[in-house]
Amino acid sequence: MENQNINEIYENAMSEINESSTSEKLAELKIKFLAKKSVLMSLLSSLGSLPPEERKEFGLKLNETKAKIAEAISKKEEELRKEELAKKLASETIDISLPSRKRELGGQNPFYVVKDEITDIFLNMGFEVADGPEVETDLFNFELLNIPQDHPARDMQDTFYISDSVLLRTHTSPVQAHTMQNANGKPIRIICPGKTYRRDDDDATHSHQFAQIEGLVIDKDINIGHLKATLELFAKKMFGEKREIRLRPSYFPFTEPSVEVDITCANCDGKGCSMCKGTGYIEILGGGMVHPNVLKMNGYDPDIYSGFAFGIGIERVAILRYGIDDIRKFYQNDVRFLHQYRKKA
Amino acid sequence: MLVSLKTLKNYVDISNLDAKEIANGLTFAGIEVEEVTSLASGTGLRIGHIDECVPHPDSDHLHVLKVNFGDEVKQIVCGAPNARSGLNVIVATIGAKLPGGEIKPTTIRGVESNGMCCSLLELGVDAKYLNENQTKGIEELPSDAPIGERDVLGYLGLDDSVLNLKILANRPDLLSLYNVAREIGAIFNRKVNIPTYEVKDNFKTDLVVGSKTSRCSQFSGREIRGIVTKESPKYIKESLMAMGVRSINNIVDIGNYVMLLTGQPLHMYDLDKLSKHELIAKDDLSVEFVALDEKTYKIIPGDIVITSNNHAMCLGGVMGSLECAVDANTKNIYIEAASFDGASVRHTSSRLGLASESSSRFVKGTNHFQAEEVINFASYLIKENCDAKEFSNIVTYQSEQKIDSVLSCSTKRINNRLGTEFNEKDIKDVLSRLSFKIKEINEDEFEVTVPTFRLDVTCEADISEEVIRLLGFSNVKSVLPTLEVKVGGLSLRQSRLRKIREMLLATGLDECLTYSLLSKDNATKFNLLNDEEHYELLNPLTDEREVFRTHILYSLLESASYNVNRQNRDLALFETSNMMSKVSRSEHLAAVLVGNELNRELMNKTPYDFYHMKGVVEDIFTLLGIESSRYRFERYESNKEELHPGKSARIIFQNITIGVFGELHPNAKKELGFNKTNVVALEMDLEPILESKVSISKMTPISKFPTVSRDLAFIIKKEVSAADILKVIKKNGLGILKEAKIFDVYEGENIFKDSKSVAITMTFGKEGTLVDKEINDVLVRIKYELSHAFDVEFRM
Repeated sequence: MENQNINEIYENAMSEINESSTSEKLAELKIKFLAKKSVLMSLLSSLGSLPPEERKEFGLKLNETKAKIAEAISKKEEELRKEELAKKLASETIDISLPSRKRELGGQNPFYVVKDEITDIFLNMGFEVADGPEVETDLFNFELLNIPQDHPARDMQDTFYISDSVLLRTHTSPVQAHTMQNANGKPIRIICPGKTYRRDDDDATHSHQFAQIEGLVIDKDINIGHLKATLELFAKKMFGEKREIRLRPSYFPFTEPSVEVDITCANCDGKGCSMCKGTGYIEILGGGMVHPNVLKMNGYDPDIYSGFAFGIGIERVAILRYGIDDIRKFYQNDVRFLHQYRKKA
Repeated sequence: MLVSLKTLKNYVDISNLDAKEIANGLTFAGIEVEEVTSLASGTGLRIGHIDECVPHPDSDHLHVLKVNFGDEVKQIVCGAPNARSGLNVIVATIGAKLPGGEIKPTTIRGVESNGMCCSLLELGVDAKYLNENQTKGIEELPSDAPIGERDVLGYLGLDDSVLNLKILANRPDLLSLYNVAREIGAIFNRKVNIPTYEVKDNFKTDLVVGSKTSRCSQFSGREIRGIVTKESPKYIKESLMAMGVRSINNIVDIGNYVMLLTGQPLHMYDLDKLSKHELIAKDDLSVEFVALDEKTYKIIPGDIVITSNNHAMCLGGVMGSLECAVDANTKNIYIEAASFDGASVRHTSSRLGLASESSSRFVKGTNHFQAEEVINFASYLIKENCDAKEFSNIVTYQSEQKIDSVLSCSTKRINNRLGTEFNEKDIKDVLSRLSFKIKEINEDEFEVTVPTFRLDVTCEADISEEVIRLLGFSNVKSVLPTLEVKVGGLSLRQSRLRKIREMLLATGLDECLTYSLLSKDNATKFNLLNDEEHYELLNPLTDEREVFRTHILYSLLESASYNVNRQNRDLALFETSNMMSKVSRSEHLAAVLVGNELNRELMNKTPYDFYHMKGVVEDIFTLLGIESSRYRFERYESNKEELHPGKSARIIFQNITIGVFGELHPNAKKELGFNKTNVVALEMDLEPILESKVSISKMTPISKFPTVSRDLAFIIKKEVSAADILKVIKKNGLGILKEAKIFDVYEGENIFKDSKSVAITMTFGKEGTLVDKEINDVLVRIKYELSHAFDVEFRM
């Protein structure tokens, strides 16, 4: 009878455990089936009334059953814990498409993007960065660059004057003279990015303030081939490996020969389009061999030393590269414009 | 310089070259061709004769014409007021292409029209060459015009292409069609044929010429008697028109024509109006001068004046006087070809606002040694076209001697400069084509004599340019220079500046660029750091931009305001720039924060305040490795209403103020259009920290023993600063207080108005185990010292 009872209790317990779906219910079952006063344990009291030969077997059976029920309960408990955790985690699901929590990088006026990039290209070629004042003397801005008083080339550059002999520099070229005078006749390899000023009314293509990057290399046996190769490298780094350059004769008082440098149009790959007015080329900078008079006036013997110089318009490069339609945009700093140029590594 | 190809071809063989090829050749030889234009254009044109002209039945101004071409007659409806029968006209026939479009058969108010009678305007001729009748109606051709002719532009002499050359300052010689012809001859290796003329004198002049000033180094002239003024011959009129000059009469036109061809400006005096038979150049007159344009100009010493009897007859190279002007009744003239100093002409013409083709040639430089040749050329034309018969001898005053400019050159040196391998023959060939004379010295060396018109060629470097511009830059081998290896790169100062800019960008500030020139008024606004004297322009364009700024902040606030006005309300902006005053030069940084902190969740906006900017400043110091003990903030005091007096500070580094920052004063916000938005501004002189020395910090060992934290809260008077409180606490840490931080400040309900509640967290630690008693002892001491120093009430 007792054996029958044990089996019955076991069956009941198992089915109740299987049917339970919460840990609370399982706790109840634990009490119901395993506590001292449970049906199963109450059978223990009947142990004494059994004949001794049955006692051992019954006892074993009882313990076995208790262990089985306990195991079933803990197994079920584990199962339910997993389920409940899964349910809880599922309920915590977030919308991963919502905006991130971060600080947006600042926008950089494309002027600086281009200025830093050109600077880095020449730094990597072993150039150093020189510096000069924006308020200059007539001596450095003109005279020492082979542009004496009343030279017609002065008309090419309408100048803001501070006094008869002090002015806002009209180009970064005076830095050439400063650098030569400070270099004590040693070889030179510098660039100088800087602001320049001309007495022009501001409109979409003119600005009373603009910036240039001046380059100057002086050493023994420097020739136009060196200028050409240096600028070729620059053009490819700045505008892409496919770009070619072309030199055209031109005139600057402080270089001889002087050249204008054109690159193949990036828009049409040199085939000719509206951007390059059908020529396939776009003018990007001017340069040439440093004029012997300039070398002489600034402390270099033109029979021993030669050099090349060039000047790149920073805004012009940015305008070409980004298709900016109005030079005034650089100076307005509309953040909707700046935010189009987040710093790129 | 406008160059007529039709005129050009008289002097250089340009057969088989079209305008585009010539333009290309010139451009790659360094003479930029800005434009190639046609004087007039049109296909399908024909000359016709109006047989009949009747009013249009349905119009009060249109006519219906029967136009006869000899082989056919067309009906054309015409609106020109001068249409009439018997007139010879230009007709654009069906299918003709004109600058304005194609001609199609149409019906105008019920009448069929097969073509259009044209004005020269409709063929694209510039109105400045046409008279009033020519612009109002159709062109009236002469009665002997060939009826039926199809080459109408040829008949009219309008079949010309014009090159517009951009003459750079080194090539004034190209302001002469003859020299352009020589250049093209050299470029294309074509034959050049510049004619010379001589008109022999048939009487001696008694007119004396001379110069009392070095500004006029040469003066030549001759008398010509018995001229008749009339219309110029067709070829001169056409040539002038193509080169942008309006035809006046034969005498004036010849002066202009000779100048355009030779580059030498001429002046003609009415001989009979001269008070004395002398023409003397002077530069020391102070008189009033009535010029050809009938206006009165003030002449001052320095202006070159041609005088007769010490009376101003001509402003040298600029304009003649009305008094001796050549007019329709002039019979006898004196023709002048002189050389005037460019700088003087430039000063005079720009002072008086009188610039002309003549003055610009003198300003850029003329050939001083061709005057007699030019006078002879002009004489020839005057003889041919003005019926003149009496020519005097040519009298010349010349103060400078003609000395050939001879340059020593070497093939090797030229190739070295160019990076080329041209052989001697190629180099010499190019130079000869360009009219240089060559004398051999030895295998490598040679001498070059520069033609007198090439004022720009003065040294061997110039010769190398001549060589390369004709032989082409494509011959230059592209080779990177091999230079000594050395430590290049950015200097410490440059790289620190770069890092500061990159950090500010990374923390979300936008990098701006603003103008250096400000109005006088704005140059003093928000100039928080110095009041050093500004540089001021002598010749500003506008009063908005007349002084050179010594600070960035005002410009950056303007940019911020520009953005706010365009609904860009939350801003973080900065700019670094080099500043220059009359006494110093230094690199500045300015920053402006406006509205709410950018990029925070929209529901949880944090308005920018003083502490954001303080963070920007501290970040810069940290970036450069400058310890907080090396700088401090002090309250900023100013009597200007620019920054909020309670929310602004000075940055002190090495005992000098290097920066000022703070929230804007409400009145300043209103003035700049920010109104209620929060605005925080900074101006900082970076120079001291860019140059500052920073020591390398050795590692501090990290303690193995745990630390203990304790909090302390108290009520204290509002005016006691956090810095003051922390100073007392840190002074009394007895070696075990590692850190003390303020984590809460509260003012408001439940606290007296003049007080605030402050909560501080302290961290204790030592190399060993801390016992409670040690900490409690320090806490008791700190509390005691705090109550001793300030009026504090501790909270539990």
